[in-house]
Amino acid sequence: METVWQGIFNGLVMGWIYILVALGLTIVFSIMRIVQFAHGEIYMLGAYCTYWFSVVFGLNVFVALFFSAIVMSLVGIILEKFLFSRFRGQIDGSIIVAIGLILLLQTIAAIGFGTQDKWIPTTIPGSLNIWNIKIPWERALSVITGIILVFILFLFIRGTKMGQAMIATSQDIEAATLQGIDVNRVSMMSMAIGCALAAIAGGLMGAIFGVQPVMGSYAMEKGIAVIILGGLGSIWGAVIGGLLLGLIDGLVPLGSNTTVASIIGFTIIVLILIIKPQGFLGHE
Amino acid sequence: MNDEKSEAGELGRMKLNKHWGYLFLILIIFIIPVFIKSEYYLHILILSVINIILTCSLRAIAVTGQVSIGHAGFKCIGAYTSTLIAMRLGFSPYLSMLIGGLAALMVAGIIAYPITRVRTVYFSMLTMFLGIVVTLVTSEWRSLTGGTTGIINIPSFGTTTVFGIGIDFNNKLPNLYLALILMVVVLIFLYSLDRSYIGMTLKAISQDESLAASIGINVARSKAIIFCMGCFIAGLAGGFYAHYWGILNPDSFGLFHSIYLLIYMIVGGTDRFIGAVIGAFVLTLLPEVSRVFQEYQPLVFVAVLYLVVFLLPKGMIDLPHQMRFLLRMVYQDRVKRNA
Repeated sequence: METVWQGIFNGLVMGWIYILVALGLTIVFSIMRIVQFAHGEIYMLGAYCTYWFSVVFGLNVFVALFFSAIVMSLVGIILEKFLFSRFRGQIDGSIIVAIGLILLLQTIAAIGFGTQDKWIPTTIPGSLNIWNIKIPWERALSVITGIILVFILFLFIRGTKMGQAMIATSQDIEAATLQGIDVNRVSMMSMAIGCALAAIAGGLMGAIFGVQPVMGSYAMEKGIAVIILGGLGSIWGAVIGGLLLGLIDGLVPLGSNTTVASIIGFTIIVLILIIKPQGFLGHE
Repeated sequence: MNDEKSEAGELGRMKLNKHWGYLFLILIIFIIPVFIKSEYYLHILILSVINIILTCSLRAIAVTGQVSIGHAGFKCIGAYTSTLIAMRLGFSPYLSMLIGGLAALMVAGIIAYPITRVRTVYFSMLTMFLGIVVTLVTSEWRSLTGGTTGIINIPSFGTTTVFGIGIDFNNKLPNLYLALILMVVVLIFLYSLDRSYIGMTLKAISQDESLAASIGINVARSKAIIFCMGCFIAGLAGGFYAHYWGILNPDSFGLFHSIYLLIYMIVGGTDRFIGAVIGAFVLTLLPEVSRVFQEYQPLVFVAVLYLVVFLLPKGMIDLPHQMRFLLRMVYQDRVKRNA
């Protein structure tokens, strides 16, 4: 029984990191109508950035995460401005731009940082014991960080003018423009938020599993899986999808291994897409 | 009256000339490999021919507006089926290659109808996860596929005698010719399909699905048929790849292989049939040509991708048109200055 609880807990950790990656993807998708395949690479760069700030500059890991989020959101704004803004709503063009970015950023990371694993120091050493389940603090903190960020995002979108503008843009770009919303600024904002979330997810994951130049594609696959599961463009859908996928990834390996977990997770997604193409909470 | 007749005659002659032109092109393509002595270049050429076949079959599906990101998955099904049938049951590689294609067709056929209800982005995502699942299953089903270590010593096409000349398929050159024959057959089939009534209905579907349905086109059936056909060709190409290369590994059919096929198609240009061929050929050769740059080599690829996507939004086939446009601008500028 304890292993099952342990599995559920590990699933929650994975799930919240998937959710952070997926939220960025889903925001970018609903505003710009593109699937940002290079999102995993932003996540990877975010992890390297956190490593850089925490090890080389010797900052506290949470401060490093914060700085890396800021740096990556600036990177996101630049990418939106110069690359993605031309390809809003175009599947073809955006895929090529994204794949170009994947190759570019992976090559730069491999040349600049080397291909060995880098380890971000643990946030708080030690672990928590509840009912004989060992919960390392760093993992517990990544769950807490995830929950806090999702609530902040929710409040931002519900409570601020920018957030309302983002909702309007995601519903109908033309109508939003007619209401005086600057769609360019909204897309930049969406990309900045998405990249910041990806950077934090990368930093948290890097503390648990290490940082490598190729860590992005796994996160990208899982992130896309989550937003498909929950429905493209829905925040709570992404949360539910992420938790479900995380639980599959946490529980199935108890009986077999992680590959089987991925197979089961992705097969469920294929079936859901066939039966209900819009996902759990998708509209459209 | 007379004019019309001569015009028709001229058109007919042009059409005939065009066919002769194609035949001449095919002849040239078949003669060139004789002069290539390097085994390595022959290998690259074979790979590019396989990529051309795959990209063209992907384009056939994409004509309906459904962008598949799981095409390598069907290549994987074809390759493994063909290999296992040839190795375990001792079938001839030619036959097993065909069976590999049929296996891919069968898998595509099972999912074709439900899958065609799914539109645009969701279709891409669905095929993407399908492709990922296929490779994950191949790497997990160790008793059948050898897991991540893969399968080695796959029987090649063996030795045959054609017109009294012995051909040993353990060499690269005969394999290249076989690939070329396969390619020409597939291309002629897909080209005539593109120009046929079915091709027209597919284009109508891509432009407006509900309008196409309103004039009596069975949208779901057309989409399903072309999807199955594309997947059959992918399976066939996979079977050929397996018997040619002799080694199979699930990694070589991953998500990025599918995405690369998509890139070949888009960078080549989706408007015309030849675009996929050019894109696949150029972009398969490019990493090999730019090998001198060593670890910076992917950057060359990225540079070409970005040049095409920003300067030639319609793909590489648009290059002559753009060049003409540019030249005319420069020329007019000079004329103005002289005046």
